[in-house]
Amino acid sequence: MGDGEGREKQEETKKIIHTYPLIRHSDMPEEMKQEAMELVVTACEKYSTNNEAAAKMIKDEMDKKFGPPFHVVVGEGFGFEISFECTNLLYMFSGGNLAIVVWKC
Amino acid sequence: MPPTAALKKKKGRPSQSRVDEGDDLEEWKKSKQLLRPKDQLELTEPELKDIIARQLGTNDPLIPQNLIQFNHAQGAFELIPPTGPMIVVYETQGTQIHKESEEAKKQVEDQGLDPSILEITDSAETIKPDELQNIPEETPGDEETQEEESEKPEVDSEMTEEDTEKETEVGEGEGEGEGEGEGEGDIEGEGGRAEDEEEKHHHGGKPKKLTNQFNFCERAALTYNNPVRVQDTQTTPPPMGTFSANVLQWVIYDAYQEDYAAQQLEKELERERKEKEKAPVSRHQAMTRKLVGKAQLSEAVQGRVLECWKVLERMVNQNTFDDIAKDYRYWEDPSDEFRDEEGTLLPLWKFTYDKTRKNTVTDIEWNPHYYDLFAVCFGFLDFMKPLDEGAVCLFTLKNPSFPEYICMTDSAVMCVDTHPKYPYMVVIGLYDGSVNVYNVQATCKQPAFRSNNVTNKHRGIVWEVKWAPDLPDGEMNFYSVSEDGKINNWVLMQNDLAVTTIITLFLAKDEVFGPDGTKLKMKGCASCVKFHPKQPLIYLVGTEEGNIYKCSTAYSSMFLLTYPAHHMPVYRIDFNRYNSDIFISCSGDWRIKIWEDNRLEPLFVFDVGACVGDVKWAPYSSTVFAAVTNEGKVYVFDLNVNKYKPICVQAIVSKKRNKLTRITFNPIQPIIIVGDDKGCISTLKLSPNLRIPCKAPKKQQHLDQWTLQCMKLDKLLSLVREPATLDIPEDTAESIES
Repeated sequence: MGDGEGREKQEETKKIIHTYPLIRHSDMPEEMKQEAMELVVTACEKYSTNNEAAAKMIKDEMDKKFGPPFHVVVGEGFGFEISFECTNLLYMFSGGNLAIVVWKC
Repeated sequence: MPPTAALKKKKGRPSQSRVDEGDDLEEWKKSKQLLRPKDQLELTEPELKDIIARQLGTNDPLIPQNLIQFNHAQGAFELIPPTGPMIVVYETQGTQIHKESEEAKKQVEDQGLDPSILEITDSAETIKPDELQNIPEETPGDEETQEEESEKPEVDSEMTEEDTEKETEVGEGEGEGEGEGEGEGDIEGEGGRAEDEEEKHHHGGKPKKLTNQFNFCERAALTYNNPVRVQDTQTTPPPMGTFSANVLQWVIYDAYQEDYAAQQLEKELERERKEKEKAPVSRHQAMTRKLVGKAQLSEAVQGRVLECWKVLERMVNQNTFDDIAKDYRYWEDPSDEFRDEEGTLLPLWKFTYDKTRKNTVTDIEWNPHYYDLFAVCFGFLDFMKPLDEGAVCLFTLKNPSFPEYICMTDSAVMCVDTHPKYPYMVVIGLYDGSVNVYNVQATCKQPAFRSNNVTNKHRGIVWEVKWAPDLPDGEMNFYSVSEDGKINNWVLMQNDLAVTTIITLFLAKDEVFGPDGTKLKMKGCASCVKFHPKQPLIYLVGTEEGNIYKCSTAYSSMFLLTYPAHHMPVYRIDFNRYNSDIFISCSGDWRIKIWEDNRLEPLFVFDVGACVGDVKWAPYSSTVFAAVTNEGKVYVFDLNVNKYKPICVQAIVSKKRNKLTRITFNPIQPIIIVGDDKGCISTLKLSPNLRIPCKAPKKQQHLDQWTLQCMKLDKLLSLVREPATLDIPEDTAESIES
């Protein structure tokens, strides 16, 4: 989990912003979680400017790997309430300011 | 001829007949004389009657017979076979069958007609016209098709035409058959007037159901369809859960901060755990840890703090032992000037380690790289008082109160050796027969290499280990000698030690019967080994039986030479630094002997009156050596000064309680260290009389110490040695001439 720390020094105070992927809540099995996390990180880095494209990539890949009806939300500020199939939810942060929710329903 | 003439005439006829019909007839009747053209052939009567058959063939004379085409496969022109005169435009299979065939008969019967019709042949031509009205539905023909014609006269004309054709064409049986077939076809292919037919022709046959268009009915059947039933079911849906959260920038930031803090805490705990494991190495780190507390210090910082502590400790020690330090450096006993042929040893520091208080010092060795660092092995020599623990410690003169590096072992350490090229690689031999290699730089807790406890160990105490020159591949290796009579060479492979037995020392006695009746060869127990400084293959082994064997690593079963040295175990062999042919040995039979290579008799023998634990040549002189005894005394000899008595005898430790076990000269400084059996190492400084340098003779002032020392030794030896061959000198007294 602790790969790739980023440091940003601001003028007033030293604020360290971490960009490593941090899983907030997940009930996926371990290897599924790892795969999904890596996929999310790859997608977010690739489409860093376009959340929709990143979400599309994540969703397509998850559908291919784990089964069709996956939903993906990528964003910086939103609230959500979802029903999901058990053991198929991933809620994580990445890149310091992005939140990604992936679930199957 | 006549037919041709007739033909000609016939041809000629129509043209004439048009002009004059009546005349023609009369002329024909009148003249029976034949008109002959003038160029007509004249033939005899029989020849005239000769019938010349003319055949009409299908050959087309106009077709070229010699068409050729280039064949690329063969690369030559080839003849194309001529195409026939016939071109097939359309081909179809006919449904005509011979009327006399079985099938035809069967068909006729089925239709209810009289089979006797089939036998009529000529009647086909004389069929009544009204029958001919019945239009054949099926057209016969093998190759040609004829369009169906519904009008009777044309059919008739066709028929007549065919008849005429038949008459004119000779030899075509086909035509006849055709005609007949057609007739039959007419009869058989009836469609409309079935009733007429029946009336006229058939008398036999079964009354057959007619398949006309007016009175036939369709018959259909329907298979049974199984009735359809609808059944449905629903699986239980997969378990669903709900989840909700709010995503905001500060939420993300806070989460990261928390997680980072948790990680740091974990790392700190991990480090603390590691510290605890490393604690016995040095108390400095423990102090550091306690004092600094929970502050997170990076490794680098801790390292620097450690260094500071070290320096501080040394400074404190120096201040404490200030006078000793000064003595060590500057004290030269002035009374030596007045004492001829005698010297003294000034005691300096004493080194001990808490945990090895009970151990005996079994080996000491100076580090080849640092002049102040020496390694000490703690084990035990007394069979009656075994100790389970052992240690090898590296002490430095700069810090007399605590060793620099400590490696605790689970068995007593009997010998140590430091690699000349890598001064941090230390190999030790243990009491239980195994050998360990430590990398002092890395960690002292675990040996870098360890001999396997089952297969790769010696079966007895490892008395001595010695590093050997690196192998051509760069791998390090060392030799070990042990009580089991084997001398092994160990190579440091990647993770393991690879062992090969160089030689097994067998005694020269006869084979003895073992417990189960097999003959056993007696093995000697090696107690020390020394490699020749100039020739790396040669080494000397001293045994517990008192023999010294000169061996080579190349030969694994034979000794090069056996010196019958002592009666008790040989404890030390040492080569002279200046002349590698000379070596010295000491043993438990109270004697120190100096030998020359290849000479079975010792050059010098010294009896010191107590079991000699160790003897060493001095590094600065070719004639000085020192020995320690069980009585706690140190003996220093200088052969140049006195060939029979030591120039210094000094008791270092109390005679009753301590025994001295080992001694070593410092290669650079004029000090010796001595180990005893109470785990204490004493440092002594040699007084000037003990280290007299050579004076260069006046004529050869330019020579260096080394050469001078060698010369001194040579001179000494020449006095002592007996010449190899004794020449009886000439007796000049006799001069009898008789």
